[in-house]
Amino acid sequence: MNDPLDELLDARFREETRYIDDAGFTNRVLQQLPDSPSAVRNHRSLVIFLSAVVSVIVAYFASGEGFFVRETLLRAGTLSPLTVIVTAAVTGLVMTTFALWAALDRTRDPLL
Amino acid sequence: MELTDADLLARVVLDGDQHAFGELVRRHQSAVRGLLRQLVRADVELADDLSQETFIRAYKHIRSFRGEAKFSTWLYRIAYNVFRENARKRTELVGIDEEHLAGEADPQTVDAGLRHDLMSALAQLPLPERTAVVLCCQNGLSHDEASRVLEIPLGTVKTNVLRGREKLKKMLAAWSNWR
Repeated sequence: MNDPLDELLDARFREETRYIDDAGFTNRVLQQLPDSPSAVRNHRSLVIFLSAVVSVIVAYFASGEGFFVRETLLRAGTLSPLTVIVTAAVTGLVMTTFALWAALDRTRDPLL
Repeated sequence: MELTDADLLARVVLDGDQHAFGELVRRHQSAVRGLLRQLVRADVELADDLSQETFIRAYKHIRSFRGEAKFSTWLYRIAYNVFRENARKRTELVGIDEEHLAGEADPQTVDAGLRHDLMSALAQLPLPERTAVVLCCQNGLSHDEASRVLEIPLGTVKTNVLRGREKLKKMLAAWSNWR
């Protein structure tokens, strides 16, 4: 036999789930929505992209029109084959780790 | 024919259809606001502010909803996170608004006193037990769904519901002969 207090609790909880009238709530939410779900994210992406472009242009002219790039390539040409291979391997490993992390981050449970 | 939540979600994601999102809000506002009212212990204004924040956050991140859980479960999870963030910001949680509860009680119902006592007892439960009881007993979520919403193990949800109910029964023992 069920505990009468359990039954009483269940009955009260069922009653407590009564419908809350909208009373303009939905309209208030709609008024505060951004233009599109991805608008904020797109805006942020655009700002980051433009900042990167501007930074590259500034760095190019500030360094004697890419002088540092030519200098780096010339220096790389003097490195031993082993150093080049190790550098390439480490760089590849780091890039792969970041790519995997990004991929896993995108596929994780999105329940915020 | 009434559109399903999945149909409406597709319209929001593919077309940015705000009317479709509005329909989703209309369908789920009562449950979300009800949950938050219980979590903030009957502070209706705060609960509604948090509910609005919940739906706005859901809209901004709607592309990340992949249908692995029910839309309502996803909303509850957002609502619970919004509540936790807000609770962290406040130095102390808001107490029960006795005046509000008294005002809400329908004078025509003979068991208004029981309702008041139940809400008061519920508000006295520790947050983990209160949340588990509200989600499972009041909002009808399964233990599994509640564990996803609260991000805690299934066993912990079951324990919290059981403990919460036992405490409620002790606090409401005087009503055991009421019918």
